[in-house]
Amino acid sequence: MLAHNLLLPSPSSSSPSPFAFDPHRRRLPRLHPLFSDAAAAPARLAGASRRIKFLPLKSSFWETIRSGFLKDSATQIVDPPTSPEEEEEILPQEFLLFEKTLPDGSLEQIMFSSGGDVDVYDLQALCDKVGWPRRPLSKLAAALKNSYIVATLHSIRHSPESDESAQTKLIGMARATSDHAFNATIWDVLVDPSYQGQGLGKTLVENLIRTLLQRDIGNISLFADSKVVDFYRNLGFEADPEGIKGMFWYPKY
Amino acid sequence: MLLRGTTGTPLPTSLHLPTATTYRHHPHSLSISASSSSSSSSSSATFPATPLSISDAELESRGFALHRDAASLDLDRLNAVFVAVGFPRRDPGKIRVALEHTDALVWVQQRRTEKPVAFARATGDGVFNAIIWDVVVDPSFQGIGLGKAVMERLVDDLLARGINNIALYSEPRVLGFYRPLGFVADPDGIRGMVYSRKQKKKK
Repeated sequence: MLAHNLLLPSPSSSSPSPFAFDPHRRRLPRLHPLFSDAAAAPARLAGASRRIKFLPLKSSFWETIRSGFLKDSATQIVDPPTSPEEEEEILPQEFLLFEKTLPDGSLEQIMFSSGGDVDVYDLQALCDKVGWPRRPLSKLAAALKNSYIVATLHSIRHSPESDESAQTKLIGMARATSDHAFNATIWDVLVDPSYQGQGLGKTLVENLIRTLLQRDIGNISLFADSKVVDFYRNLGFEADPEGIKGMFWYPKY
Repeated sequence: MLLRGTTGTPLPTSLHLPTATTYRHHPHSLSISASSSSSSSSSSATFPATPLSISDAELESRGFALHRDAASLDLDRLNAVFVAVGFPRRDPGKIRVALEHTDALVWVQQRRTEKPVAFARATGDGVFNAIIWDVVVDPSFQGIGLGKAVMERLVDDLLARGINNIALYSEPRVLGFYRPLGFVADPDGIRGMVYSRKQKKKK
């Protein structure tokens, strides 16, 4: 089972905006010919990731949260111009992460999307599965609507009987709020417990980050429970950079 | 493994925080109903009202005007305040976009010169979470309580909308500024983290 991110060029038939699974579609657009050979795919991916340039950290984050009300902040920093990551392909709004054939002969595909088309009932069911306390549906819907990016993982199962329609299930979600210019904060990262342990959470967050970076959001932050600090560290997050602390107003703890 | 990128649980839906102009919310004394189905018409949350450290009237009498929207905010002058306190000079076009997508903001204007002298804003999802950014006071006006004034009001505005998960990132030397305002660092071991491209481990 491949667990890598597969970047697919957008097929000409897909519509650019709404994220929608057509249950009548037997198969999603075929894998790019370069990736059709499973043995070749990892090698291609390794090559692809080496081509991506990692820009040095911009000074902007530290400077933007630097205290703006103490008297001795005298130095002026110039925000370096953003240079695009020229070598990275623009991420399609939705793409296939991997697929596998199940014992019963059906094909299961895992799709990533940043289009944010989430059924709020499905989301609540997913939150229930991971054991989160219930939140009012209307508020959940509003929170999604007010989020800059809502990234999802869906499982699409195609039965071996070619005349049955595919079954789609929401299995992961992560969202980011943002001012659309400088800062983004990631909230609510969750993966269906029966799909955990396969690296899906990692993929979900990685692709959310990639989407944010491609929209030129320079500062991506989050607040991590102590148990998942290492998980995010491995994704490139740094805790308390330069001693900067996350603070909460009268938290319940 | 439960992957959480956020802190946990919101207050029960029956909790109502009355909007107050002069008095502030102090949740430690709130009596919270545990049952979310209880009637919420009587906002019976009792809490000692904590007065604002500087009242609106006092600010007025000192020649300051309070604003809660960016309509009369001169972005170039705001940018000048950012630069004066050491932020990078930012593209005013981007600042405009950022302000258009800001959930709440409070700024203080000096009436005589019409210039912004204190500012703070918050972004979020409008229902559960908010993060406060860009808390600044013009260096010539620091030390007289304007930072506190904008922060107290910004927090009150967020609470009035039902947003009670309010966070921010604080430099070590100003933790003492935020603490008396009710902010706690790393509650229950929750850590603020920032993405650093330099640090990303390649697979």
